[in-house]
Amino acid sequence: MINWNIRLTDNILLFSIIVLSSFGLILLYSATNQDLDIVYRQGARLIFCFCLMLLIGFTDINKVKSISPYIYIICITLLIITLFWGHDSKGAKRWIVLFGFSFQVSEVLKIIIPMCLAWFLSFSEDKDMDLKKLVICFLIILLPIFFVIKQPDLGTSLIIFLCGFISIFLGGIRKKHIFYLLGIFLTMIPLMWKFILLPYQKQRILTMIDPSADPLGSGYHIIQSKIAVGSGGFFGKGFLNGTQSQLEFLPERGTDFIFAVFAEEFGFFGVLILFLFYSLILARCIHITNKSKTYYSKILSGSITCIFLLLILTNISMAVGLLPVVGVTLPLVSLGGSSLLSIFIAFGIMFSINRRN
Amino acid sequence: MKKSFLDFNRINIEKLFHYRFTILMIILSFLTFFLLSRLYYLQVLSFEHFDTLSESNRIKYIQVPPRRGIIYDRNNIVVADNSSLYSVEINLEIAKNIKKIINAIDNEINLTDEEKKNFYKKKLKYSHHNSIVLKSNLTQEEVAKILSIRYKYDGLDVTASLLRNYPYEEITNHVIGSVGYIDKVDLNKIDKKKYKNAKYIGKTGVEKYYENLLFGTPGYKHVEINAKGRQLRDLDKKNAIPGEDIHLTIDVNLQKFVYKKLKDYSGSSIVMNPKNGEILAMVSVPSVNPNNALWKNDQNTETTNFGKSPLFNRSLNGLYSPGSTIKPIIALSGLHNNIVDANDEFYAGPFFQLPDSSRRFRDWKPEGHGMVDMNKAIVQSCDVYFYMLANNLGIKKISSFFKNFSFGQLTGVDLPFESRGVLPSSDWKMKNIGNKWTNGDTVITGIGQGYFLTTPIQLAHAASIIANRGLIKTPKINKNIIYDKNENVIKKEEFLRNNISQENWDRITEAMFNVVNKKNGTAYWVTKNKSNKISGKTGTVQVYALSQDTDIREKDNIPDHLKDHSLYIGFAPKNDPEVVVATVIENIGSGSKYAAPISNQIINYYLDKIRKKY
Repeated sequence: MINWNIRLTDNILLFSIIVLSSFGLILLYSATNQDLDIVYRQGARLIFCFCLMLLIGFTDINKVKSISPYIYIICITLLIITLFWGHDSKGAKRWIVLFGFSFQVSEVLKIIIPMCLAWFLSFSEDKDMDLKKLVICFLIILLPIFFVIKQPDLGTSLIIFLCGFISIFLGGIRKKHIFYLLGIFLTMIPLMWKFILLPYQKQRILTMIDPSADPLGSGYHIIQSKIAVGSGGFFGKGFLNGTQSQLEFLPERGTDFIFAVFAEEFGFFGVLILFLFYSLILARCIHITNKSKTYYSKILSGSITCIFLLLILTNISMAVGLLPVVGVTLPLVSLGGSSLLSIFIAFGIMFSINRRN
Repeated sequence: MKKSFLDFNRINIEKLFHYRFTILMIILSFLTFFLLSRLYYLQVLSFEHFDTLSESNRIKYIQVPPRRGIIYDRNNIVVADNSSLYSVEINLEIAKNIKKIINAIDNEINLTDEEKKNFYKKKLKYSHHNSIVLKSNLTQEEVAKILSIRYKYDGLDVTASLLRNYPYEEITNHVIGSVGYIDKVDLNKIDKKKYKNAKYIGKTGVEKYYENLLFGTPGYKHVEINAKGRQLRDLDKKNAIPGEDIHLTIDVNLQKFVYKKLKDYSGSSIVMNPKNGEILAMVSVPSVNPNNALWKNDQNTETTNFGKSPLFNRSLNGLYSPGSTIKPIIALSGLHNNIVDANDEFYAGPFFQLPDSSRRFRDWKPEGHGMVDMNKAIVQSCDVYFYMLANNLGIKKISSFFKNFSFGQLTGVDLPFESRGVLPSSDWKMKNIGNKWTNGDTVITGIGQGYFLTTPIQLAHAASIIANRGLIKTPKINKNIIYDKNENVIKKEEFLRNNISQENWDRITEAMFNVVNKKNGTAYWVTKNKSNKISGKTGTVQVYALSQDTDIREKDNIPDHLKDHSLYIGFAPKNDPEVVVATVIENIGSGSKYAAPISNQIINYYLDKIRKKY
């Protein structure tokens, strides 16, 4: 009875995850204008993902490691299917329906790619990263990204790339190579602007720089979100009392801008509490990473820790107008099954690694 | 050896991992800190700024236009009031797909192509309005049908608005005027804040002149709206103060009678009470029904263009030569200036000639009037007598004397757009025509022709000054207004009262009485009922100057628009006049044939049927 706690180990981590994800449901109730139907469905997804997390948590980490490449290949297949039979949403094919659930494969890549990279890097854990290894790593990252760009979904592609890069960085990419890559990236920017970016993507970036240029069009999201966050004040307007969210001035309240709903209704004080819980999770993740025994576990848990924080920062930066709207959800809180799935897979892995420690 | 190397390498790689992990966490922590300070800046430091923005997002200020004041006639009969009108509107700011909305409405209530076309026209024309009316005057059934689909379309709305209603239609049109949509010209003149959300503004007549009284004070409410602009609840409100009601001096029954008499002609007739300047009836024909103009989409296109300008208010803006109607005033001027004695007799032949000129100024009577004194000259409207008199007076004396009767000036009636007309003088001709004044000009001024132009209201005003023997009462239409006599009026009145002897007033009023009551009088035969002791003066104004040698009588076959105007001024009863009439009928014939009998019937109707009730 008492033992499973010890075996799954980290109570604080588990507690924080439960608190944050349940709170996410409550917040969703407000963000969807008290649409209980949506809340119930999200709750069901949450329970499913939570069970999956426990399942992975009790699985031996070596087993997880050994199935990593297969999962990677399944993901690539699903991406190709998405490209051909995906659902249209605002001009992009991002969704497929699996067993009656719509599913966004690109969300899961944020965790699958680091898994695959950690698996690959662990084969030659005693050698530092030469060019050959680096090229293979990049192929692992860029192959799925290619399909995501095709959807087209540039924002998610960038995030996925960053997730993969974090793993390579932790896996010991040479400094020299980092500078080369940086050089290539910087020269690519003008070329990308000219040849790869679609007009609406350019518009998003320009809008982020000056939202007031098009206050009713593409700047609307950012302006309304900033108003929501700012008008929350120190203590917020109170649960269900956020005028920006309840009167629907704020767009995409359940997903991209759920932080704005939160900040409006709970204020800066609430934001601090939210950060406190995230910090608890992160502290436990850092602890697990530092305690992990194998190279594979180190790379994977380190990556997951950094990616988790990266996603939080990206989502909140979007809501306060520091980043263009790239479609990153707030981990554990936002509406949506796919992002929930990837986060809970990640924590499942963390528990599994921790159990091994 | 190999293994220890491996271990060594492995330890290095693990070290590198921890080093890199630490770096990443430091970078991300730094970003977190930066983000938190950004949040602190937005939520704590800039709170008030964003709070204001958020409030202005959700709270909408809606101005509620006041109810327009009702207009009554002098007996409290309503002549302009408001009725409810349901119309379907599309709010351009909120509507996403206007075409789709119009199609949906079309499915419910069947719009005509014209209504759709007009909507797009108005959309261009009234781009400063948020909402454009698609169809007005909906039936209850249509309202219900549209309300049933309203929830599907943002920006589609059914509004109940007050509509101006004129129960006497074209009879009172020109005097009461009408309201119309606020257009871009109005926008430049009005207080935009006050007229926000108001649709109509007084365009003509009393509606325009008393716009400020009739409009009232708008109220407001603050409502909470959602992002789609739908109103959720009222936060606070202040009721609008309705516009003031106005009581006119018009007697609608008299107005009706006058209109009935005039409606087949073009022209104007004004009935006034000389004792207080109250306008009892004021008709301009042809007229239009102002009620139609309002729900038709564009008022002044089709109806206007049938030639006789029904929207033109002849009472205030029609400019006519006064013709012989001003002969009594010329005579008075001659008496006042001691140019002529009332009893002097002159020979009046068929024409008058200036010395050293071959031009013949013909009399209307081809054979001439023989020997005439002043009385006979007025009674028979002898032209030659007044040619001579005017020539002897000179234009300077004529125009300075006529000024006292407000010719060439505004009468000051409380109605908009009054015209001044022209009181000719040598200065005036120099300035406006560019030529020097000639003696010939003076001669024809003596019979009210030439450059002399008056409006019907000026004629009525002048007639009431004669009836009052110099007492000036500014014409008025609002019963409750009391004029302060301005300096100018006081000066005129002092001149007329103090410098003109009662004897001279008697002479010309007696002559005007004879016009109607003596066998030779120009209005004798056409006035059947003489019981009310009417005095008057006819006028026949040549529109078309016939050549010197043509006999004036030979003009039966000239086209309508070149026919003479028929004029008449009159008042009754003789000794204590209570009513004054001035009538102009365009392009019809002589004054004695048309204007005089109609005017005298009006006077009799007023004194017999209406005055008795008071």
